[in-house]
Amino acid sequence: MTGPGPAAVPGAAAPSRAGSIYDLGYRRYEGPRLGRTYAIRSLVLDSFRSAYGLGRGGRAKVAPIALGAIAILPAVVIVGVLTIAARLGAQRQFEQATPISFDTYFNSISVIILLFCAAQAPELFSRDQRNGVLALYFARALRRSDYALARLVGFALALLVMLLVPQVILFIGRVLISTDIAAAFGEDATKIPAIVGEALITAGLLGGLAMAVSAFTPRRAYATAGIIALFVVPGIVAGIVIQLGSSAIGNWLVLLSQGTVLDGTNALLFGKSLPEDLFFFDLPVWTFLVAAVAGIVVSVAVVVRRFVRITT
Amino acid sequence: MSRGGSRGGLTIRREARRGGKASARPGHGTLGPVSLISIAGLTKRYGGITALDGLTVDIEPGIVGLVGSNGAGKSTLLKILLGLIGSTSGRATVFDLDVARDGIAIRERVGYMPEHDCLPPDMSATDVVSHLATMSGLPRTAARERTAEVLRHVGLYEERYRAIGGYSTGMKQRVKLAQALVHDPRLLLLDEPTNGLDPAGRDEMLLLIRRTGTEFGIAVIVASHLLGEIERVCDHLVAIEGGKLLRSAPLGSFTERTGTLSVEVEEGQAALAERLIGRGLTAIVDGAAVLIDLTDERPFDIVRDTVVDLGLPLIRIEQRRHRLEDLFRDDPAGSAPVTVSTPSHAEAPAVPPAAPPS
Repeated sequence: MTGPGPAAVPGAAAPSRAGSIYDLGYRRYEGPRLGRTYAIRSLVLDSFRSAYGLGRGGRAKVAPIALGAIAILPAVVIVGVLTIAARLGAQRQFEQATPISFDTYFNSISVIILLFCAAQAPELFSRDQRNGVLALYFARALRRSDYALARLVGFALALLVMLLVPQVILFIGRVLISTDIAAAFGEDATKIPAIVGEALITAGLLGGLAMAVSAFTPRRAYATAGIIALFVVPGIVAGIVIQLGSSAIGNWLVLLSQGTVLDGTNALLFGKSLPEDLFFFDLPVWTFLVAAVAGIVVSVAVVVRRFVRITT
Repeated sequence: MSRGGSRGGLTIRREARRGGKASARPGHGTLGPVSLISIAGLTKRYGGITALDGLTVDIEPGIVGLVGSNGAGKSTLLKILLGLIGSTSGRATVFDLDVARDGIAIRERVGYMPEHDCLPPDMSATDVVSHLATMSGLPRTAARERTAEVLRHVGLYEERYRAIGGYSTGMKQRVKLAQALVHDPRLLLLDEPTNGLDPAGRDEMLLLIRRTGTEFGIAVIVASHLLGEIERVCDHLVAIEGGKLLRSAPLGSFTERTGTLSVEVEEGQAALAERLIGRGLTAIVDGAAVLIDLTDERPFDIVRDTVVDLGLPLIRIEQRRHRLEDLFRDDPAGSAPVTVSTPSHAEAPAVPPAAPPS
């Protein structure tokens, strides 16, 4: 069992020499040791890949790849229709008619993003706890908080890619189709800060909340249910309270509903008015931004605290 | 036999550094004269439970067995040495680095094999081990090369590309050992490495540990509650009980004690024990058996004669060697030490169903 020794080489003239060929024995590692920073970077990359099921079996890839494809689909369809409309000279009319553009894209795929969070965040934190692999990570050149933050950042990056790829398709498609490419680029480029900003806020808030929930259970199913509950219940409660006519309480309750908060930051960043169902909201619009940042900070703190204290 | 460091916090240094292999460390000259592990007054409390109670011991390179019954504090000690958990009070250093402050520097050069299951079933051994190697700071390509080497070393060949979920317990234990070795540590901490293995698997794992410690010059600490296994691979033993140091000594001094003679009778255990004590032996009743301390071969004759005298229905006589219980019965309250010293080289008892010494 301990490697083929000299005896395993029939007909070898000099057993000791054959042995040195077939059983090299243990060799020291004299190469570079890149330390903690490298370990953290590697763990971020591993988390990003794991969120999409890369490096795992085929079944682990089905959900994330399917959801990613669905998130891209509207952008592809719009670019396709825009191409046809441009040939027919009806581009302007179509752009006015289409319900999906840069500022509404995030909202239109929000359910997909939510499902991605619910399905894939437990793939990182819950899975590591269930497999007992935390002891192996914590015994390496990392701090516990490094592990927690690296996993969190990796997942947020996976969400960011999912949010930005469709926007990039939409952007490139629109620019290339137009007759005056430079002008079209100049016009759409003004939206880039808003697109990237909203994507960052969405990835941070949804990723943070989903990871915070999945940090507390080794059971995937519980984590998934918990994430969906956290994303859906506050919005419903806020809606009921508002329907009952208490908009003062409703004002504050909607700040606990991540969906509404992201609608608010989206409106703020793209310079639009609030969606119709938020007309009762009489606090300044930037409170949505404060609520989003607060949500991110709290999520990160909860996750780090959890893994600093967890027993392995 | 010097019984050093029992109860309390006496520091025992090994008399002589094991010459040769363990300390000859090409490329690791920095180890030099520093102590491998130094523990002083280490205490760890979990709520009301005291896992370590003022433990003081120095450990030098070699293959060291850390023995103690379940709950003696072995796992807690290993985790504190890794900087995975903090201590309540006291101090510990590894390579002269403080475990509380320099956890990362220590963990870069220490390999740890946990007791429990810790491998993702949906990944291959190659993927897991090379991923963990990068977590120790090895560049990606070096991590892959080292992974192939250590998996071959632990005896995993083609299987290493298959998902771990389909591995036997023995293969999983080997992967756990491989991940502890992949970053070429100077010290290996193994927590119950033979857990769940069948006898053949145990033999292979022990041989592997022995090779790792001797041929590769990596210091090894093996925590186990099975003294009989540990004595086959270690050259030094540290015994702890109730979070305190029981004894720290080279293996040889432990083997001076021949062991325990277990005499199983169907009835009359108390009468037998009483009669044996009357004849100068140390005997205690343990269920259906009477346990007698063995320092020479004299008790065999006495036991045979006494059983015949009493006319007891004898089931078996078995010589147990070096069980952990023997260590812990070092100072049995109220029982006198064995005083029989006459060399009487009698043969084994002439009782037909006597089992051979195990």
